[in-house]
Amino acid sequence: MSLLNVGSRALLANQVALQTTGNNIANVNTPGYSRQSVVVQTMPGQFTGGGYIGKGVDVQTILRNQSDLLTRQATAAAAVDAGNSARSQSLLQLQDVFSGGTSGLGTAINSMMNALSDVVSSPTDMTARNVALTSMDETGKRMVAASAQLDDIASSVNEQLKGDVNTINQLAQNIASVNDQIARAKGNGQPPNDLLDQRDQLVRNLNKYIQTTQVTADDGTLSVFVAGSQPLVLGNKAGSVSIGDPKDFGAASGQKSLLFQQPGASSMQELSGTALGGGEVAGLLSFQNSDLQEGYQLLNRMATAISLSLNAQNELGVTLDGSMGKALFADVVPAQPTAASTNTSAASMGVTFSDPTKLSANSYLVSFSSATTGTITTQPGGQPENFGGPGQPTLAGYFSSHGLQSTLSGPPNAGDQFLVDPMKGAAAKMQAQQLSPTQLAAASPVNAQMGAANAGTLQLASLNATGQPATTGFVPPPSPVLPATTGGGVTLTFASGPPATFTVAGNATPLMDVSATPPVPLAGPPYTYTAGQAITIDGWAITLAGAPKAGDTVTVGNALDPQYGDGYQRNTGNATALMNLRDAKMFDGATLSDGFASAMAQVGTRTQSAQYAQELSSSLAANLEGDRTAVSGVNLDEEAARLIQYQQAYQASAKMIQVAQNIFDTLITSMGH
Amino acid sequence: MSYSTNRVATANMYENATRNLMTRQTSLANLQDNLTSGKRVERASDDPVAAAQAERAMTRISRIQTDQRALDAQRSAVAQAESSLGDAVDLMQQMRELVVSAGSGTFTNSDRVTVANQLQGLRTQLLDVANRKDTNGVPLLSALGSAATPFLNAMGQFDGLAGQTTGSSVGIPSALDGDAAFMFQPQRDGVFNASVDTATPATHGLGSSAVTSTNPTQIALDPSGNAFQYQINVTYIAGTAPNTLAAQYSVTSTPAGAPLNGTNPFTSADFNPSQPASVPVTAIPGLSLNLTGQPQVGDTVQLTLKPSNGIFDTIDSAIHDIGTAGSSSAASQAVGQALANIDSGLARLQTVRSYAGDLLNRADNISGNQQKRSVQLEADRSNAVDLDMIKGVSDFQNQQVGYDAALKSYSMVQKLSLFNYIS
Repeated sequence: MSLLNVGSRALLANQVALQTTGNNIANVNTPGYSRQSVVVQTMPGQFTGGGYIGKGVDVQTILRNQSDLLTRQATAAAAVDAGNSARSQSLLQLQDVFSGGTSGLGTAINSMMNALSDVVSSPTDMTARNVALTSMDETGKRMVAASAQLDDIASSVNEQLKGDVNTINQLAQNIASVNDQIARAKGNGQPPNDLLDQRDQLVRNLNKYIQTTQVTADDGTLSVFVAGSQPLVLGNKAGSVSIGDPKDFGAASGQKSLLFQQPGASSMQELSGTALGGGEVAGLLSFQNSDLQEGYQLLNRMATAISLSLNAQNELGVTLDGSMGKALFADVVPAQPTAASTNTSAASMGVTFSDPTKLSANSYLVSFSSATTGTITTQPGGQPENFGGPGQPTLAGYFSSHGLQSTLSGPPNAGDQFLVDPMKGAAAKMQAQQLSPTQLAAASPVNAQMGAANAGTLQLASLNATGQPATTGFVPPPSPVLPATTGGGVTLTFASGPPATFTVAGNATPLMDVSATPPVPLAGPPYTYTAGQAITIDGWAITLAGAPKAGDTVTVGNALDPQYGDGYQRNTGNATALMNLRDAKMFDGATLSDGFASAMAQVGTRTQSAQYAQELSSSLAANLEGDRTAVSGVNLDEEAARLIQYQQAYQASAKMIQVAQNIFDTLITSMGH
Repeated sequence: MSYSTNRVATANMYENATRNLMTRQTSLANLQDNLTSGKRVERASDDPVAAAQAERAMTRISRIQTDQRALDAQRSAVAQAESSLGDAVDLMQQMRELVVSAGSGTFTNSDRVTVANQLQGLRTQLLDVANRKDTNGVPLLSALGSAATPFLNAMGQFDGLAGQTTGSSVGIPSALDGDAAFMFQPQRDGVFNASVDTATPATHGLGSSAVTSTNPTQIALDPSGNAFQYQINVTYIAGTAPNTLAAQYSVTSTPAGAPLNGTNPFTSADFNPSQPASVPVTAIPGLSLNLTGQPQVGDTVQLTLKPSNGIFDTIDSAIHDIGTAGSSSAASQAVGQALANIDSGLARLQTVRSYAGDLLNRADNISGNQQKRSVQLEADRSNAVDLDMIKGVSDFQNQQVGYDAALKSYSMVQKLSLFNYIS
């Protein structure tokens, strides 16, 4: 009798084992499935006089093979990988905007500057002027197109973020409901393996979008936390996340942050970007807030510096019809700083461009710790620098060394913050003015004449208007002070030395040495003459070559004066000055013609390092996933071996029943008659 | 790889194999991309520093092309200017021959008028040559800026700003100094025109040689910077020695107040009246001329020394003096002066013409340098971003072999399963 029991119990146990093995084989490719194994235990033996007789086997539980530690590690690594991968892909798109080569924006800018060379060779040729103006128009359009491309990337990233956030919310809801089911099932005494697998897979999917930490509660529910400590899922309640503008500066900052709403709460909390860890949302937010902003800043700075410099130089020249030049590009109006919503004072900050060659490609966050001191942080990604204290620059001094002039309408309170982003939108608005070819100011407003009796070898190297240097730092150039009219002019008289010196007569303001910052009065008179060095007088600069003899003179006159007739129409001093802007240092020390190459390299380096990070995290995630499945994955050969094992045991148990039956039959038969 | 235990999940195994296959295939496709485009660096992220280097090299190459185009325009302008000056020199030589022929003793007044007309024709041609423009309508000899027609017809003045532009390291000036070519400066060239106002009696052939300047820097200038015009009144008196003559002359200037080498009146050394006279006049600083003729005691002659401000002015004086010369002695006076002044003019033209030649040489040098730089930059660019074909092909073949091996091993491993042996 008991043999029958033992046999039938063994049969059942082996049947369960076979079914479990079959379940494993069936689920070999199911993602998130943890291999299940049967835990059998022996029944307690029955005490008899002859010893404890065993009563067979019983299935205790179906064990779900998994390691908490490995699961957590693999999930976290997958989150980081998803974040890096999202950022790297977006950067590849960003890089296309800054592509080089013959069709790139850099080549367009250089062709525009080089087209002026034909104007210098033939100043009265309308075709050459037309070509130069058309190139400027082209460059403006290309800049606008590049900016539009960046806008496209921004909007597609935004759409992706919205979709991801919806998925996160959905997954949170699902986890919460599975938590509920698991809590109920826990009361039954056996672990609900499939529900646990399902929940783990949901958490893994969630981590692809945002990295989480999990804590198991006593009732079997899993609490999921994002950004370190915000509870996205607590028991069977789920919170939600959304994308919005940062609270302090709103939409003007151009950045986005993740907002979190706790289950049951009504207010949104802003999550700090650095606390997000990994996940696609974190990667995309990091791209949007730092990489894309740098792309915008680089493009905007190029548009601003090029527009302002070319405009200023053209306004210093004379057109073919004898009037002073106008702006070549639409004027760049600086975007005014935004006050934070938490500011307590009513002060506002204003900013204008003072020197387009000193602009740097970032925005500034100004934080006041008192009315005159505080910190400035460049964004994206900078260290706070103090201002206002002893040994530190003032706020105005800091900004003027970065090409801006800042003003405050009133004293700010401690804790007030301002976001300064003056070049915002400059590239999207860059537009060449529709000028006719005669309005390209190729001629210089001043002309020079060597003294008729000059005995030395003085020759004229260049003569053009540069704008007037002020004694307190460079201001945007106004019109030059033109030399006196008919018969007059500014005369430089030379003495042969050595060293060769000269004196000046007829100038309106004292001579300045513009190589110093700020410009200082030039030592003299008599001033030292160096061949090839520019002499700056009254807002124009003349460069001479050769050696003078005593008494040699150079007379600089107003080119528009009637005594010179229409000679200015064949003069190309200002066109040469426009061309020389190619070598003006304006992009962190790079010249105008090389500016695009450095921007390209900057974006390329970011992309390259993002790619390296992605490769590294991808291989790390793959390794950890391999470790996790080493414990919880199904191996078909192993299952095949177990099949054979349990099949044999099943056959043996069946045989046992047959033997028990034979014994019973024997017993019955022998007792029968 | 992973440090795991001695177990691997089947699904994970296939996943790893698939991922490796995909990775290899991607790198194979990337290498193929590189081979077909010939570039090692296709996007900036492949090698940001090299990409930026290549971009900068390209910028410089296009700048060199632009500079070369400008240099070609400048070179053609200077070549045209140089040939114009050559034409001017030819015309001046023709004028010289005509002037020499006018000094022939057999010419009558009307013959000399004919010569004067011919000279006028040549002067008109010379003016056209001086006013030549380049293909864009800019005068070739416009110096630092001139009117559209730099040389005015009336006085042959230069209507513009005298001076010369320098070239740069990549270009030469595109205009020459017309003032230096065609205008005279008193203290540099010292060109004067001596003419006889009155000579009494007219039959003695009283006059002077051409006035020349031995040391132009000593020529006095009036307060406005121009040279003085001098008038010499000569009276021949008996010399200190018997049977000799001496010339007594006084010099006045317009404007008044010119410094002289001594005080009026000046007396020359004695000379023998039986031979043709050649009395040096040394009173005027920087100028020298000899009084000529066969004077007798009591003869008077009045001379005017007028400074010439340019080649055209000199030619005008020559045309006037030769055309109106009443006698052959007056004619030879005019001819002598004209020849001396034409030679001064030729010297100016040759100076500027040789400077033009220097500029053309410089242009050739610059061209050569730019060529070399261009080649160097192209090599830099190529080194930075172009693919070394041999390395590229060998890398591609390596990848191919690796990919092939991965595919084969995948297909072999998946055949191995315990299920094959259970039946």
